[in-house]
Amino acid sequence: MVGSLGGYDMQFDFFTWFGGLWDWIYGILLWFWAIIKWLGIWILDIIDGIWILASIPENFMFLFRAIIMPGLIFLLLALIFTIWFTRKIWARIQDRRGPTHLGKYGGYQLFADAIKLMGKEIIIPDKAKAWLYRILPSLLLVIVLIPFAFIPWDPYWNIMGPPGAAYGDLSVSLVLVFALLTAVPVFSLLIGWVTGSKYSLIGGFRAANNQFAAEIPMVISSVGPAMLAGSLSLFSIVAAQTSIWYIVLLPINFATFMVASIASVGTFPFDAPVADSEIIFGWRTELSGIYFTVIYFAEFAEQMLYSALMVSLFLGGFNGLPFLPGIVNFIIKWLVVYFIFTVVTSSFYRLRQDQIVHLCWKYLIPLSILNVVLVMFAMAYLPWLVPLVVGG
Amino acid sequence: MSPDILDESCVIWFGPQHVSAHGWAAKLTLVGDYIVECDPNAGYFHRSAEKCLEFRNFRQGSMILERICMMEAFLGEYPYIAAVEKIADLEVPERAKIMRTIMMEFNRIHSYQFWFGQFAGELGLFAMLLWPWVDREYSLDAFEQLTGSRHTVSYATPGGVKYDFTPKFLSKMDIALSRCRNRMPLFDDMLAGSPTFRLRAEGVGQYTAKQALKWGLSGPNIKACGIPMDLRKDDPDPNLAYDMIDWEVPTIHNEDHPGECDAFDRLHQRFKEIETSLDIIEKLLPLLPEGPIIDPKARGKANRLPEGEGYGRVEGARGITTVWLKTMEKAQTPWRAKIRGPCFASYYSLKHIVPGARFADFPAIFGSLDPYPGWWDR
Amino acid sequence: MGFVGNLGDIFRILKHVFRQVFRRPFTYFYPWEDRPYPETTRGRHIHVRETCTGCAQCVRACPVAAIHIDKEDKKFEKDCALTFDYTRCIFCGDCVRSCRFEALFHTPIVDISEGDREDLIYGPDKITTLDRDPLEWRGWRFR
Repeated sequence: MVGSLGGYDMQFDFFTWFGGLWDWIYGILLWFWAIIKWLGIWILDIIDGIWILASIPENFMFLFRAIIMPGLIFLLLALIFTIWFTRKIWARIQDRRGPTHLGKYGGYQLFADAIKLMGKEIIIPDKAKAWLYRILPSLLLVIVLIPFAFIPWDPYWNIMGPPGAAYGDLSVSLVLVFALLTAVPVFSLLIGWVTGSKYSLIGGFRAANNQFAAEIPMVISSVGPAMLAGSLSLFSIVAAQTSIWYIVLLPINFATFMVASIASVGTFPFDAPVADSEIIFGWRTELSGIYFTVIYFAEFAEQMLYSALMVSLFLGGFNGLPFLPGIVNFIIKWLVVYFIFTVVTSSFYRLRQDQIVHLCWKYLIPLSILNVVLVMFAMAYLPWLVPLVVGG
Repeated sequence: MSPDILDESCVIWFGPQHVSAHGWAAKLTLVGDYIVECDPNAGYFHRSAEKCLEFRNFRQGSMILERICMMEAFLGEYPYIAAVEKIADLEVPERAKIMRTIMMEFNRIHSYQFWFGQFAGELGLFAMLLWPWVDREYSLDAFEQLTGSRHTVSYATPGGVKYDFTPKFLSKMDIALSRCRNRMPLFDDMLAGSPTFRLRAEGVGQYTAKQALKWGLSGPNIKACGIPMDLRKDDPDPNLAYDMIDWEVPTIHNEDHPGECDAFDRLHQRFKEIETSLDIIEKLLPLLPEGPIIDPKARGKANRLPEGEGYGRVEGARGITTVWLKTMEKAQTPWRAKIRGPCFASYYSLKHIVPGARFADFPAIFGSLDPYPGWWDR
Repeated sequence: MGFVGNLGDIFRILKHVFRQVFRRPFTYFYPWEDRPYPETTRGRHIHVRETCTGCAQCVRACPVAAIHIDKEDKKFEKDCALTFDYTRCIFCGDCVRSCRFEALFHTPIVDISEGDREDLIYGPDKITTLDRDPLEWRGWRFR
């Protein structure tokens, strides 16, 4: 051997190596192809798995209910109807007509407004924290729309069925709804803060103050119906009102819940965070274009949600006339409650922030706690009450 | 408050671009929710009215004065006409005097109807923004029937008035005034009787009568303190008809805080002023004699005025409005015209009234003082 | 004001607002309905050249110099051509008052808004007649 170094063969045959190069490259290509094939089969397996899951009838119906009816599409159409309805009622209270020119009775006005607002320039203030400013309004709308999944529109045609069934209602869905709703004023504070303008900051602080004042009586007021029904699941509370609606037994509770929910939404007369004549538009001042559209829809969605909560907690939800489907009953009652909501909000002057806190803590909380105590004693000492309210 | 509390203060411009600040600005220093300093900043509405008056003759000048404040257009143009009449020594016929007085009171009612809507809207109730303005529409229809224009009536001219009362105008005025009277209980319920309004307006923007006199307030802002200081009674203009009937100066006497007034009292004061104006019109209408409505020599005399100074004063809807004119010999236009508006005093008194109030009370305070930038910026 | 008194006030206010919802609104459904304009309304002018003598008192009386006169343009023996500049006119009525020959009047037509600024300067042919083109809007015709 020539030139051995420590016992190894250093002779290098160039042509043998060159002949084996193609096999080596071919092997690498086969390796890549195997990875791609594996990836493709993996994706197809996933799609196949989703299809198998979705084609089980219950799951498919769940998706249908969650997205189309009474899910997202129904909700967006209901939101557009609600905003039209509200504008017409506000106009009639102010002795004028509201939108009339687009569509019969102005129905298409909302579409025109949405398209116009989406086409506007989005102005981000210099001192704003840009990425938070972009994300927060949409996040607010998402958080306001999620609790609609738990509202019992109909005994069968509902997103969540009765507790215990497949896709049943959570046993604590009332608490979950309030947990999501409590996040809304936090978002208002954040939006007011990241905007970087003094007026928005004042509005944001006032929104946080509003939450501090108004969420507590609202949650306490909802304990009454929950105790009467014996469960914290919204579906069960509604199902328990077959014989008697809770508003007959708890009228004052309804009133405190209504006032506390108006304060919680932040609409007149408790709209100090968004006071039109003092801080221009509060935490919403600098939002423009698509962000304003989203916030505008979020405010009306919140009002819709509170009306729906009032219908399910106090007015019996889908119980009503027996020959109508449950969801029609619900919608009729919801329209009446929303009308009363709008009339009440348009009748009073805007309260100052400290007066809101004063009102909620000095008047609403004692009334709500009194209600809870009354319900406790009634459930304990009136034996004929329990079968009446738990329902069948 | 200790001086170092101002370290955590924040300065906000309640600026000219604001929903409820129509053309004026104030620099507010806030500590928390309380206003510590208020620095009113005038000048955004200046339209050089006084200089424009130097280029217009004595019949055209009232057009400018009307447009300084459109809500009280007639009450704004009258002091100019009065000043011209003093310099030119014109005699106004009796029918014109009574017609002018009726129109002035009608204009005052219209201005207060506008103010109810504006004040309620600033405090947040949009229903009450438009309900008084519906009644105002009937008044404006009556103005249009008489003079041809809804706001800028241009009704007075040196020596008398321009248009005569017609039966159609009298019936329209009757409709407007009776509607105003009939809706008073509704506004009483929705304004003074509303618990949320009382929460917003009671105890807000207080000042004593002594302070009001020192700051130079006039009109309803000082009558609400209990001082019956009214130019129509104290110095009745010989060219108007206030001394032909007896009527009472509207003031309110508050037992809780005599000698002081807050926003709620100023609201009551304006309710009373409307009632007084309705009363005056009712008493004056039967006294209307037949006769000319303008001095026959007015056309010649008002073209060229002798040298002199004239000072016309009127009790406007917001306070005492005056115009001072100086003319040179054989003048076609005034040498100098000086307009004094009532709202200058109320705007700058914000500097003293506001500190100590909360930020949310600021619209309530300035709304109840009824400032209008046209009068201080001219 | 006790608690019960406040509650009574609140219910009274709610009753007023509730009743207002069901009343006919006060607004007119423009442009299909419009409010009635009395004949004394100071709208756009009309110049009657038959009686005009070209004395130019209207030009002197105008506070904003909105009237321009051309004395050479005569249709009848003594008249003149007037141009009204409606971008300057304040509708004060002094020109109509100063005309002794009943040649200048106000009309109750107040909806004279145009798209171009030049259309608002009414020349002698436009100011002497009340005809104008109808307004087309979304398939409806007005005026």
